[in-house]
Parts: sequence; C-alpha cells; structure tokens
Amino acid sequence: MKHRHVGNHICTAAIAWICFLTIVVASEANPAAFRKLEEAALVQFENHCFDCHDGETKKGDLDLVLLLGKDNADSSIIFEHLITAKMPPKNKKHPSAEEKKLMLNWLAQRQAGRARDSYRRISRHEFVQSVNDLLGVKLDLTGEIPEDRGTNDFDSDRRIKLTREMLSSYFAATDAMLEFALPDKGFTPERTWVTNKIKDSHATYNIYTRPYKEGILFSWTRANNGNSYSFFYDNFDPPVPGWYELTFDAMKLGDFPEDVSIEVFAGKYYYADDRPQPQRLLDVISLGNREIKSHKVTVFLRPGENVSVHCYSKHNFRQKNGNQGAYIKQLKVRGPVLDQWPPISYRNIFGNLPLKVPAREHLRVSTSHTNLKAIGGSVTVSSFQEGMEKERMLDGSNRTFWHTRFKPTLAKPPHYVILENPAGKAIEGLNYATWSGGNGNGQVKSFAIHLSEDGISWGKPLMTGALEIRLASEQPILFPEKTTKRFIRFLVTDAHSLDGRSLASIGKLDVMASLPVNDSSQVISVADPSPEKLRMVIRNFAKKAFSSSLSDEELAPYYTVGLQSLEKGGDFVTATKAGLKAILCSHRFLMAPGEHKNDSYKIAADLARIFWLSVPDNTLLELAEKQQLSARSIPDQVDRMLKDDKSQAMIHSFCDQWLNLRSFNKIAPSLKLYPAYNDLLNHYLPLETEAYLNYLIQENLPIGHLIDSDFSILNQRLAQHYGIDGVIGQHLRKVNFEPSVPRGGLLTMGSVLKVTAAGFDTSPILRGAWISKNIAGNTLSAPPENIEVIEPEHGKQAVTLREQIEEHKKSQACYACHKSIDPYGFALENFDATGQWRTRYRVKKPHGGTFQYRPKGYYNLAGNVDSSGEINGAGFQDVFGLKQILLSDHRKIAYNFIKKLFEYANGYQPDLVQRLHLYAMIPDKPDQCRIKDLITKTLVYSLTGERS
Amino acid sequence: MKDISRKDFLKFGAALPFALHSLGLKAATKKNPPPQRIIFICSCLGFYAPYFFPGKREDLASSLYLKGMQTPEKMTIFGNLFHPGMDTSNHDSEKSFLTGSPSPESPTFVNGMSLDQVMAREMGGGTRFPFLNFSIYDRGWGISWNDRGSAIPPMHEEEKIFEMLFGEEDLRTRKLQLQNDQNILNNLHRDLAHLRIKGANAGKLDSYQAVIKELEIQLNHEKFWLNAEKPKVEKSLSDDPEFAFSTKLNNLFELAKLAFRTDSTRVITLSMDWIDGAIKVPGATGGWHSLSHHGGQANKIDQLSKIEIDTLRHFNRFLFEMDQIKEGNGTLLDHTTVVMGSNFGDASNHTCNNLPIIVAGGGYRHQVHTVLEKPTPLCNLYLELLHKHNIDKERFGSSEKDMGLLKG
Repeated sequence: MKHRHVGNHICTAAIAWICFLTIVVASEANPAAFRKLEEAALVQFENHCFDCHDGETKKGDLDLVLLLGKDNADSSIIFEHLITAKMPPKNKKHPSAEEKKLMLNWLAQRQAGRARDSYRRISRHEFVQSVNDLLGVKLDLTGEIPEDRGTNDFDSDRRIKLTREMLSSYFAATDAMLEFALPDKGFTPERTWVTNKIKDSHATYNIYTRPYKEGILFSWTRANNGNSYSFFYDNFDPPVPGWYELTFDAMKLGDFPEDVSIEVFAGKYYYADDRPQPQRLLDVISLGNREIKSHKVTVFLRPGENVSVHCYSKHNFRQKNGNQGAYIKQLKVRGPVLDQWPPISYRNIFGNLPLKVPAREHLRVSTSHTNLKAIGGSVTVSSFQEGMEKERMLDGSNRTFWHTRFKPTLAKPPHYVILENPAGKAIEGLNYATWSGGNGNGQVKSFAIHLSEDGISWGKPLMTGALEIRLASEQPILFPEKTTKRFIRFLVTDAHSLDGRSLASIGKLDVMASLPVNDSSQVISVADPSPEKLRMVIRNFAKKAFSSSLSDEELAPYYTVGLQSLEKGGDFVTATKAGLKAILCSHRFLMAPGEHKNDSYKIAADLARIFWLSVPDNTLLELAEKQQLSARSIPDQVDRMLKDDKSQAMIHSFCDQWLNLRSFNKIAPSLKLYPAYNDLLNHYLPLETEAYLNYLIQENLPIGHLIDSDFSILNQRLAQHYGIDGVIGQHLRKVNFEPSVPRGGLLTMGSVLKVTAAGFDTSPILRGAWISKNIAGNTLSAPPENIEVIEPEHGKQAVTLREQIEEHKKSQACYACHKSIDPYGFALENFDATGQWRTRYRVKKPHGGTFQYRPKGYYNLAGNVDSSGEINGAGFQDVFGLKQILLSDHRKIAYNFIKKLFEYANGYQPDLVQRLHLYAMIPDKPDQCRIKDLITKTLVYSLTGERS
Repeated sequence: MKDISRKDFLKFGAALPFALHSLGLKAATKKNPPPQRIIFICSCLGFYAPYFFPGKREDLASSLYLKGMQTPEKMTIFGNLFHPGMDTSNHDSEKSFLTGSPSPESPTFVNGMSLDQVMAREMGGGTRFPFLNFSIYDRGWGISWNDRGSAIPPMHEEEKIFEMLFGEEDLRTRKLQLQNDQNILNNLHRDLAHLRIKGANAGKLDSYQAVIKELEIQLNHEKFWLNAEKPKVEKSLSDDPEFAFSTKLNNLFELAKLAFRTDSTRVITLSMDWIDGAIKVPGATGGWHSLSHHGGQANKIDQLSKIEIDTLRHFNRFLFEMDQIKEGNGTLLDHTTVVMGSNFGDASNHTCNNLPIIVAGGGYRHQVHTVLEKPTPLCNLYLELLHKHNIDKERFGSSEKDMGLLKG
C-alpha cells in the first residue's frame, strides 16, 4: 500500500462518510452484519497496526491485539489517534480512506449504547441566570452557591450530582432573589446624592489627591507596597442593596495622548493601608476628554460599602501638588434605580393583574461636611491663628486644621472649642481627629467636656479623657449619656508641645448625633386577591420555569404551597413567593431534562440553557406549544438567540470552562518579576478572549481564526501590555495588526498564557499539554505515576529547563507522549507568565528587610529563550511557525472545537458513533469551515439526532 | 432509598451523639468519649524570637516568655516551620496563616479555605455553632476564610458573644421560615410520587429524592437547635478599664473556654490582630505595631516584650484552666488541640521564616521543643492535624506530606 498522508483524502472523505454512515445504522440492528464488519476491520488492524502493537513488539507499551480482544475495553484513545491521523505514524503505511472508515466504524459500533446518565442537574450559573430572567431582576448570588465542578471540565457534566449543600443554598438564594424582586416591606424611595468630598486617607497617600477647582484632582496611586490604594467618596452610603447609577463629572489633565483610567471600586472604608478591606472592581471609566464630561456607570452596592476610586495611568504622577491625572468635579449618585415603575418583576410575575401601585418617591439627600452643620449647629473658639481658622476643623478633612493663636502674640490658655446645639438635638459624643501631617505641635493629649444651657455657666466636667497624638484617624469620644444641652465645651487640658509653648490644634471636630433617617417604603400589592388569581400566577410562572404547559394535577403541589400560605396569612404577594419558591426548588426546574409535555418543549429548554444559560423566552415557548422546533427550524432560532445580548452568557461560560479562564485568578504573578501587572490588566485580559470569540461567532469566521488571525479585540491597557501603539481609550474594539505581531488567535492571548503558567513562571510542559489537548485537538494519555515535577531554573550556570525537558527525547516511552506536548510549550516560551513577549528569562533578586514595591521590579535578566521545536517532522523556529503547522489541518481544529461544544452543551463527551457523525459534518475547505455553522450543525445533531 | 416515617426523621435528626448531652455543662457521658475540639490563635505581630524560642533544647526554662507556663508537659514548641510564598507579603501574610496560599499581597489574590473551616465542615455538625471566630479588633480580616476565598468576619465584642452563646433569643421568624420550607418539601414529595406513578425517569427522581431527604434531616437539625435551650452559664467576664487590651484578650479566652466546656462549638479561631494605636499593659504603654518594628533597639524590645508577655500570660491561664476541667478520662485540655502561632517570624523585618508555633493539649505525646532540620511547610503540620481529626485529605495548602510530628 502506498504511503498517503490522510490529508490528501479530504476531498472525497466527506461524501464517502455520509454514505457509509447509513451502513453504520444498519449494523446496529444486525448482529450478523456486525460480525462481518468486525472481521473486515480486524484485517485492517492486522495490516496497519499489529506489526508494532502486538504482544511481542508492544511499541509504546501498547498491545492492541489484547486490548481489542476485550469486549468492554474503551477504545476512545485509539479512535482519536486514528481519526486525527496521529496513527499510523508518518513513516508507516497508511490505510486508504475506505479502510480507515471500516476501522473507525467498527471501533464505534462495539462501544455503542454504553450507559450514561440520562439527566443532569443545572449548574449554579444557569440557576442564577434563569431566576434573574424569570423574576426580571439582576442579583448575582453565584458566590453564595457552592461550586460544583470538581475536576471535571464542564459544569454540565452529568457525573456531577445535586447535593444537599447545593439544594440548601438554592433554597436560601431563592429566598433572597424573591425578596429582592418582591420585597415584603416595599421599595425605598429613589434618592439622589451629590458629593465632591473624599474621606480622609493616611498622610502618605495624600500626595495623590488635592483639592482642585470645584472637586478633587487624583493622580496615579500605586502605593509603595504594590497595593493599589483607592480613595473613598464621603456623603454617600447606599441605604439598601441595589443598583445605583454613578455619574462622574470628570476630565483628564495631562499632555500625553493616552486616556487616564478611573477604576471604580466598592468596599468598606478604611483609614490607613494596614487593613485594606477587600474591594470589588465595579467598572472602569476611560478619561480622554479635556473638558468636563459626565461619565455614567451603573453598579450594584450593598449597605456598608462605599464607592472609591483609583486613578491609573502608565505615566507616573507621584508628586505633591501635581497637575496631571483625573479631575473629578463631583460624583452624583441616583438609586436604587429600577428599570420602570412598577418594576418589571411585577409584570413578569403578575402579568396583567390589576395592582395597587403608590407613586414612586424621589428624594434628594442633602450632604453636608459635618453632622454639626446638619443639626444647625455652629462653633466658637478661644482664639485662632490667621490661616488656621475654626472652619478648617469643620471641613470634614484632617488635611486642614484649626490652631490657637501664636503670632503676633501667643494666646494664653484655656484653649477650648464651644459647639452650639441651638435645636437641642440629642448628641452622643464627639468625633475628633488631629491634623494629618506636621510635627505634632499642638495636638491634644487630654481634654475635658463641659455642658451648659446658656454658654456662660459650665459647672463640673461631664467627662475627661486622653487622646492619641500622631494618629490622624478619627477618635470617637463617647459621652456617658446623650445630651440635649445647648452648649458643649471641649476644653484642652494638655497638648503636645515641642518647645513648651501653650498651643492647641485640631484637624477635625464633629458631633455624634443620630440624624433622622427617611425609611419610608412603598409597598405594591395585588388588587382583589383571590385563589383563582393565585393559581393563574403560579401556572404562568411554572410554564416558563419548567418549559412545559402543566395539567391541573401537575400544578397542584405548587399551587397548594401558595394556597396554604394565602389561607394562613392572607397576603397575596407572600403567597405567590411561597409558590414560586416551590417551583424554583423543584426537580422539574433543577434537573435537565425536566418533565416536558412534548419534545419541542424539551428542545426549547435545551436551546435556552445552552445559549442563554436561562429559560426559554415567549417565542421559543410558542413554537414549542405548536411543536414546531425541529431540525429545520432550529438553525433560525440559533441565529436569533446568538444575536440576542443574552448569548454573552454562553460566550462567557464557554470560555470560562473550555479555556479554564475560571482559574484565571488562581495564580498571582510575582510583583518582583512582573511589577506592571495590575488589577486593571487582570480585569481586561479575560474580556479580550470573550470579545474575540464572540466576534468570530457573530461574524461566522473560519475556524482557523482560533489559531491565528490578523486582529484581536483590544483596548488601551491591553495594547500597552502587548506592545501595540496607537490604541487610546479603555473600550474594547477590533484592532488589526501587522504580520510581525505574534498576537491573533487563542494561543497568544494573554489570558490563555497566564492561565497556563504555573506558579511564578511558565512551565512548557503544563502549557504544552494544555494547548495540545484543548486547542490543537490531540488526545493525550495520563502521565505515568511517580514522575517528579522539575523545578524551573533559569540561571546561567544551571541546566536550563529546556535541556532538562529535552531528556524526554532519550526515552521512547516518554517521547511517545511528550512529542505532542513539549514542542507546543517551547513555542510559547516567548511569552512570560502574564503573556508578554520576552526574549530573555527573568530571575528574582532577593530583597533585604521589609519588601518595598519598585516599579522596575527586582530581577536580573538570565538566559535566552529558545522557542524552536518540531512536530511530526515539521520544524518551527517560534510561535509563528507553530501556527502555520497547526493551520495545515483545519479539520483537526474544527473537530476539537465541536467536541468541546458538544460536551459543554450536553454534559458528556460524544460517544464514538456520535464522533463519526460530527467529523463528517466538517467542510473540506478551510474557508468554508465556519464557526457559527459548526455550532449550528453540532447542536441540531445533538438535539434531534438529525442533520440540518 | 425507601420512605422513612416522620417519626424516624425526627429521631435521625435529633439523635446527634452530643446534642442532647451537651445541654448541660458536661459534654461527655459514660457511653460516649468526649469530642475533639480545636482552637487556632494567631498573634499577627509575632513574638520576639530570642525571647520566645528556648535557648537550650528541651528546656522551657531557657525561654523568657515560656518559662512560667503551668502546663509544660502538654505543649510542643516547633522551630523551622514556615509558609512558602510569603517573601513579599508583609502584613498580608496574615491572610494565609491558616490557608498557606502564596502571594497574599497580590491585588488579584484569591485565598483558599482555611484549616478551621475545613474542620468545621466535618466536625461542626454536632453543635449549635459549627465554628466561632473571635478577634481583638474590629478592623481585622480575622484568620478564617471560607471556600469562596472570602474572609469570615470575626466577632470582637465580648458581651455580644456571650449573648449569642448563652442569651435568650427571639427565633420566631426563623422557625416560621423552617416551617415554610418543610411545607415546600412535603409538596415536592407529592409531585415526585405522582411522577413515579406516571413512569417518569426513575434514576432522576431517585437522585433528587435522596437529596431532599437529606435536606429534611438538615432542617430538623436546625429546628432542634432552635427549640433547644441554651446552656445556663454564669457570666465570668472581667471589666478593667485601665488595661482594656489585656481585659479583652482575657475575656475572649474565657469565652472560648466556656464555649468548649458547654460544647457550643468545637472549632474556634482567635485572631490577635495588630492595633495601630497605643495599648497599655502592665509595665508598658506603646504602639504595638511601632514597637514590633523595633529595628533592634533595646528599649523598644523591652517595651514590646511586656506586651508579648502579657498576651502569653492569658494564653497560659487559658491552658491551665482548661486543664482543670475534668472530662472523661482526662481534662478538657486533653481533648482540645490548641494551636498558637504567628504569620511573622520576625515582625521587625516582615519576614515569615521560622514561625513561632506552639501546639498544646489534644492528648498528644508532647515533646516540649521540636526543631525541624530544614525549613518545613507549616501546612505539613496542618495536614497532620486534619488526619488526627479523622479528616481524610491528601494535601492542604502548601503541604508536602504528613510528617507525624505530634506523636500519640
């Protein structure tokens, strides 16, 4: 038999396969035909495989004769090696297309019909998304539900079982989401706040902000220990959990072309950097405008959190009184915002039932710098120095201060501050802070508090106390009991003095008073409640949730829950919530497939889960009711569903799982080696990958773009990371490159490169194995046991990692697998653990004493990167060469992609018969092999068993 | 799994080995051996090493700090334990004290699950509180991190902790919620029964039914605790305004002892967060943080040592009093593993090598002082503790293997 590379068969292969598959189906039912197939196939194995893989020669430690002789051995790996042309090896004789088909067919047939679970539970992401869509809210509680993936690749894996812990957290999550959508106590009024004041920060951070015009100028703030410090806005506290619209009136200051980025965080306020409370990055505002403009972001906040900002630019603004950075004139907050009034959730759940809806209230929250001002109070002082008047301790900032007079004459003690409380409000104490900065002169060490009704006669002190000096965070002074007296005198009995002069100074002084809080709420209720209306509401909801219309009998248990609540308490909304909770915790909702009236409903549910991680919409439900979802109509639906924004959920989920971006944050790049890696970059790297895959799918581009392309979806920060000039602004957009740029395609994307790095630096083996299995489509056996991990050593004296890995070549047993692993890893060694291009390795330098962050890092350059290698006899110099080799077999790439998609959608890997069908669907020509088409064909097949 | 009667549910759920017995002050009965407890204490500013580690091997008297310990035969001090990956962490190393996750200073750090939480999962089912977390300061992270990488906020107000453990509570809303949930489960059972008659996918129904049965047991467990009376305990907290820091630490140890004695919980963490401002202890007043960065100056070290001696005084008293409480065949201390340590080996330099670690109690055969040959991951000891508590894990954090350091 002549040597023929399988690739040459591609033209005729597809057609021949389709014909042959009909024979496949026939064989299933016919044992005699199967035996004939078996005999014919074994002849081929004899001719092409057994010479090397029998009991005597046993190449690669594989005895195929023995393996194929066993009835229940799993031949998946053999199948894969054969279909991707890994076997027979290049230099051996190859079966013809027909002969190969025989072999593959027989392998598939003997494993057909092996049992797998016929159901799975829905994943927590599908749960949260579905409930949000059903209720018409956006509340992300995925963090509250235990992760359920284990070591499996995909959430949908049928081997993952529903556990008590999961169900218990679904009960709790359902409660929270129902309460959020239909709150028992009603909705708080929508409020507006306007603020341009930030809370005090530790003195060392004060060089990064200063009052400027009407607001604050923020400059770059990478603190000296590598932490990004952010500044908290004062006078805004979210009263309830919900969505808040933040409008920043801001502009950029500076002569450079790049935008300045404002990172907006939510977190609990803390004073110094000793205890950064964890903060969430909410959004990024890209400032390019040099005139004030309003930038809006809508974010989710909880009570106790404050909004904070961090200004980032690649330029270093670390200087006092600088004039570069972000000028934020003010922050306006509106919230909690609702999509409409009454909220959409009521429409979704109660349909057209008449509701009793009070008018929506809007309040404007007045913000003043001090509580004292809020209660109408004022202050007088014993004396003051010009430029250090009493107002400076009432501006809510410890950067300015009041000081007793020392020029031209020294004011004599007693030094005091009298706070006036004209309205007689209840005051619980005082809040004191020293001036942050200076040499400590005048800072109060001890004090006495006196009360008076007339401001003249003071009597004995209410209390005395001591204060910390040199500590500029707020120090509360609690009175033994509340007072409503008109005058409160804060008398300085001792103050720190450097030269013995009698001085006193205060940075901030305010009263502690409970200010009246508006806690009105607006309850929406259903007019004329009745059991019939309740039944209707529950039936409608159940239809959407269960993706099926229900008979009265089927509905009964869920209706009963609601009815029992109605009969006990009487409130319609509460009864509805009880019924909805039963629906959302039911197996009909939590397990897939559920109980569907007909097959179309089942297909509708599957499609919605695959593309939207949610429940079907009305269009799908209508088609399902009419039983119109079939191999013919599904492609239109796929098209429609992909165009809907909700399909972003699938892109995100698929990238998370297939490319393991879920583990993106597991490794933190070393601050010594990668000092420029920051949270902004961390935020955008995965977004690039999602945006890219989304673009490929929406534009239906050829499959080769997974490996290589001349563009990516980038923004300013990502372009900086990749060394690409001319990208301004943080919004993601398509950027074309020159051919000399290695980017383009998944292999050279920062997110993929980071997630495949191990520990502090890269491991060619881990990366190579990952790329090989997940993108290139190779099938690798598990590594042998008892192999020790090799620690990377990049120093000049040490044996390089490459040299150590090349040892694999010396052993046949090792090289059999490693020839499909190492080369991929080597090609990517030009990319460090954050995905940046490198030609030399970096080695950490030790540091002495406390570690101080340095923007230049702590490393020495070490050996050169050698990214050459060879795959199947084809050599390459670097990743450019590797990409060309991979692109030469587009079918292998497509086949791998299809298998991953199938597994993502169905929760199990396709069995061998299914794989034959899937492979046959791949077009011959690379530019006809398009991603969206592949997705459609795969799903039509897996949902209906037919071809589209 | 066949149907179980409601009576059996209740029996199954309520017959937790120690639940009924623990309502009194004694946690053990003749039939059942006393349960194992564990407490982790982290001093976030460490201890001055020359005064902490015994100068002479095996001789506690050669340690300035530890020579006065009243239970020396039930303690082991370890030398040369550390967490890899902390060389640039500074104070952030606190986050990894009970997790061993590297690079906690990174802005994108995601922590692992802390040791106490892993243990609470297995050991926490039989008590009213699966675990308790205390701290001396309201701003700290604490040392307890859940499986989603979030810090579990500790409690620092002694009065509130006492109330929570032993005070009366209005639990009507929660009881109502439980009732509603039980109602839902009953109706779900109905639906399942109906589907079985119609011949729906038995495997799917079986697996779901098994889970809701487990959930019912959990609900009954909760209902049990809601209806059970809390133990009656005399309030023994002290109140000394002059030494507020010292008093708080004393009270927290006291609460820990009470919690263990009444079997209110079996897993506790106590985080001695560092305080930025000045504290006053007998013999010294000063900023704990600034003193801990003494830079080698003798007067600062002297002041610092007074603070550290004070904290260890409370530790000592805790061990001693636990050892006075008879339980089963030994004392409460014999059934409680006490791990006291720090994330810093040298707070002045912010280095995290040679961490000061003491393991006390637990009924092990203590060695007084064990110094490992080479720097060894502290997580090896943690892994061993998991095994000693019958929790079968192959690894924990940065562990390499279980070295059997605690014999017996």
